[in-house]
Amino acid sequence: MAEQIVKPDLNFINEVINAGGESLKKCYQCSTCTVVCNVTPDESPFPRKEMVQAQWGLKDRLFGNPDIWLCHQCSDCTAYCPRGAKPGEVLGAIRKLSIEEFSVPGFLAKMVNSPKFLLVLLAVPTLLYILIIASQGFFGSVDIPTEDGKIVYGKFLFSLYYVDTIFTAAALFAVFSLFLGVTKYWKAMDAANPNTKTGSVGSAVSATIVDILGHNRFRKCEVTKGRATAHMLVFYSFIGLFITTILAFARVIPEYIHHLKISEGIDVHQLDWLAYIYKPIGNISAAALMVGILLVMSNRFKNQEKAGLGSYYDWLFISLVAGVGLTGLLAQFLRMANTVAAYPTYVAHLCLVFFLFAYAPYSKMAHMVYRTTALVYARLSGRDQGNA
Amino acid sequence: MEKKFGVYICKGCGIGDTVDIEKLKKNTVGGARVAAELIKEHAILCSPEGLELIKNDIREGTNTIIIGACSPRVKFEEFDFPGALVERVNLREFVSWTQEPMTEATQTLAEDYLKMGVIKTQKGNLPEPNILPDLSNAIMVVGGGITGLTAALEAANAGYQVTLVEKEAELGGWSAKLYKETPRQYPYDKLEEPQVFDKIKEAESHPNIKVCKSSVVEKTEGQPGLFNVTISRNGSSETVKVGAFIVAAGWKPYDAEKLGHLGYGNPNVITSVQMEELAKKGKIVRPSDGKEAKKVAFIQCAGSRDPNHLPYCSSFCCATSLKQAKYVREKSGDAVAMIFYKDIRTPGQTELFYKNMQNDPGVLLTKADVTAVTDAGNGNLYVEADNTFLGEKIKVEADLVVLAIGVVPATRAPQEYLDGLTEAGKKGDDAKKAYVESVPKPDFILNLEYRQGPELPSLEGAYGFADSNFICFQYETRRTGIYSAGCVRQPMNMSEASQDAAGAALKAIQCVEHVARGIAVHPRAWDATFPDPMLIKCTACKRCTEECPFGAIEEDTKGIPSYNINRCRRCGTCMGACPERIVSFKDFSVDIVGSMIKAVDINEDDFRVVVLACENDAYPAIDSAAIKRMKISPSVRIIPVRCLGATNLVWVTDAFSTGIDGLILLGCKYGENYQCHFVKGSELANYRFSKVKETLDKLQLESDRCQLMQVAISDYDKIPQMINDFVARVEEIGPNPFKEL
Repeated sequence: MAEQIVKPDLNFINEVINAGGESLKKCYQCSTCTVVCNVTPDESPFPRKEMVQAQWGLKDRLFGNPDIWLCHQCSDCTAYCPRGAKPGEVLGAIRKLSIEEFSVPGFLAKMVNSPKFLLVLLAVPTLLYILIIASQGFFGSVDIPTEDGKIVYGKFLFSLYYVDTIFTAAALFAVFSLFLGVTKYWKAMDAANPNTKTGSVGSAVSATIVDILGHNRFRKCEVTKGRATAHMLVFYSFIGLFITTILAFARVIPEYIHHLKISEGIDVHQLDWLAYIYKPIGNISAAALMVGILLVMSNRFKNQEKAGLGSYYDWLFISLVAGVGLTGLLAQFLRMANTVAAYPTYVAHLCLVFFLFAYAPYSKMAHMVYRTTALVYARLSGRDQGNA
Repeated sequence: MEKKFGVYICKGCGIGDTVDIEKLKKNTVGGARVAAELIKEHAILCSPEGLELIKNDIREGTNTIIIGACSPRVKFEEFDFPGALVERVNLREFVSWTQEPMTEATQTLAEDYLKMGVIKTQKGNLPEPNILPDLSNAIMVVGGGITGLTAALEAANAGYQVTLVEKEAELGGWSAKLYKETPRQYPYDKLEEPQVFDKIKEAESHPNIKVCKSSVVEKTEGQPGLFNVTISRNGSSETVKVGAFIVAAGWKPYDAEKLGHLGYGNPNVITSVQMEELAKKGKIVRPSDGKEAKKVAFIQCAGSRDPNHLPYCSSFCCATSLKQAKYVREKSGDAVAMIFYKDIRTPGQTELFYKNMQNDPGVLLTKADVTAVTDAGNGNLYVEADNTFLGEKIKVEADLVVLAIGVVPATRAPQEYLDGLTEAGKKGDDAKKAYVESVPKPDFILNLEYRQGPELPSLEGAYGFADSNFICFQYETRRTGIYSAGCVRQPMNMSEASQDAAGAALKAIQCVEHVARGIAVHPRAWDATFPDPMLIKCTACKRCTEECPFGAIEEDTKGIPSYNINRCRRCGTCMGACPERIVSFKDFSVDIVGSMIKAVDINEDDFRVVVLACENDAYPAIDSAAIKRMKISPSVRIIPVRCLGATNLVWVTDAFSTGIDGLILLGCKYGENYQCHFVKGSELANYRFSKVKETLDKLQLESDRCQLMQVAISDYDKIPQMINDFVARVEEIGPNPFKEL
């Protein structure tokens, strides 16, 4: 191997420490972590080398590498570390910094990662909806229209304008930003590991997806055994809720066509039967989401001693998912109960979903894209041979 | 002293159930010619009533006491009768606990042991301590660093006069040259001011301490209690009389000129010693251009743990570099200290300091094999290293490189010089003369006027350290009354050196107190006997002077030995060596052991094997086997010896001419990692034993009949089997043909 120039970076060391890796410096390179890790490749295993690299502030070495994402933070390493260096937490902090490094625009990532800006970020959707509601005159003399006295959210905020348009825009922004981010990540990995990729991208992607769907890596965790189940519940409920969203959107398409006067004679109720499919899916998914996220939380508390509680960054994401699930379910029940409290709950739900979507490239939500990218890259470069 | 005998047999601890006591008494009357009324028994001899039985007889005039009870290694307070010659016969461990009860063989064994005990007292005499006149109890400390100062203060505070000799103009040694010291107290996170200045002040004003600065020891004559030391200072000399020595001559940094591969020679590559000087002056600036150093690389094990330089770990360099990293960080917040190490070794609580320093974001550590330090331009340097976790081969730029230099004991240069001189001497007088003329003579520390050489002997595997090589007695050097402490003994940090100094001071005090009582200094610290040669029969063969492991015996121009008895450790090596058999102790001599061997009951139908067992390890190991109730063949007779080195070859002749069928020498492991209390006793015995083969052949005896076995005290579980196997082998060979004569 060619000689590598090592340039220590004191600022980056401090960044890792401040990002939740305060135990970083306790590592004395004994390698217990790499030995107990079940998900690391045998050749040049993690997380010891990442610990040393971070101790020396070798940012490029850490970020231009799929390894930080091959780690699933089982925390077996943290539990067995004889010096309390918590490699699991440190790698979590490094991942967070890497998202901050690659995401566009960078300042948003810094804001998402800092509790100082939480209110500002929340204010964006909140103010938006307050403005919308005010523009409808609901704060003044106008009564919120109902359907035979029953609450219908569509009458409150017309979904074409005030939900679908806004969220499609937010989602497109997120997708675009994530695309830019992972492209930068890919290039960084290419720069750090020239000419190591072999095989086809297509098969790597499909193998990776199979891997993710089965949570095969996650299942190798020992100390935090329950995490795979909890994550799986959340993961599949997100898929369920995604399907729900698509179908719900499909159902109202005839109405939008009618509303936009594209075809005035259209039967606006022709796809109403879809509700019989997506409502159960949606409700089951929402229930699974709640169970899953509560398990995530309880696991974190249960394993606090061995694996660490986690950082602001982790808990922001957990709270957001829990909040989305909770407000979503509540909004439904309150609507059915036909109480006026349904409206603020619904607005809160919309604000949280906005938060989740729009800030996805900067929050822990981005992990699904970065980790998938890293897994694909690892497979292509022979770093990850699957789950043999 | 006219001997009045008393034989006391204990029936407790199973002895009465194993042996027919009446028969034993009767046989002793016949075999050892002791009057029947002098042989008494008691159910529990160590009980107040039993002891009263003995004391009553002592009051009536009994002065030679043979106690047939438990091992002499236990109950020594109960069976201590000052003024009487006491012999303990081990009927409990060697008979009751290792033999079948009430058999003919067991009975004979007990009778033999008791008979041997009686014979030993018949031949032996009550020891009289040999207290030499005009003894001094003053202590000389050579070296005024942290170790020497601590040793001097410890001894002085205990009430002893101390002379402290320091070759430099000021006291304090290396510790006075430090900018700061590593933390000494919890939580081990703050550097401390050097503590040595308080000790200097205390020592210089102490009424019991005489400080001699700019002074060296020019000559040391004599022995413990009677050392005459000539101290020279700026050309003038004075002679001081002291009782014991503490050598705390300290260390020197390894010669950095030999570390060219680590960049030494470049002005910005300095040693840890130079780093202290830099830090003392203020900001850490580099020597080449005075620029403040912001990226300082520390290279650990600079010379140490390297077979081409110093094969050992110098112990404190890791803590030193961590401390100097703190200098770098405290003097400049944006500076980094990079430490390249093989392993961080921070013994004891220094580990806590290591942990604290690790937590500083600007202290960067990596395991690495540093291969080179090269020029990076502008005065900067590249540290090149292999096998790091930062990469297989890495290069790190630094603006200052500090080599954590290793420790070389002050004793090394004189030892090497003297070893070279000995080698040259072997080639003849011309080679020796050429050596003296061509090789510069290093500073000697003690300049002993000993036949065996002027300095502490060089020990194999000790790399010039004045270490003891006694696994149980770390302060003991091979020169009695001379104790080494601090980095001259082993690499160690200042806390350890201070403890070491206190230990050495205690040993020095023990030495002067023991010689004042006429007892051995070490390790037979109770022993009032001493070797007393009948010089009129000496043939000046010089074997005793050659073989004494402690340099206790000088010789005059005719080669006649003269004993410096206070240097002697009473091992009896001289007694074993002497072909004229003229060296004797009051209770241990060639004749005594020979007579005990000859006292063994020889039976034509039965086999007899004698075991000469080292008192220090082998004998206690057999006692331990007995506690475990392991069986030993009843054919075996165990006779303790002070050291296998005391084995005189005539005993072999005694044994086989008497009709003994086999002989075992049971002693310590020798060679590398030897365990002998007297350094090379078992090795010497083995050497002498190898000559026995010829003798046995002359006698037409199979040489397999005698064997030397090396055992450790922990081998107690194997020893009975080893002995029994040997007995079986002797039985295969058949009876000693001399038996019938």
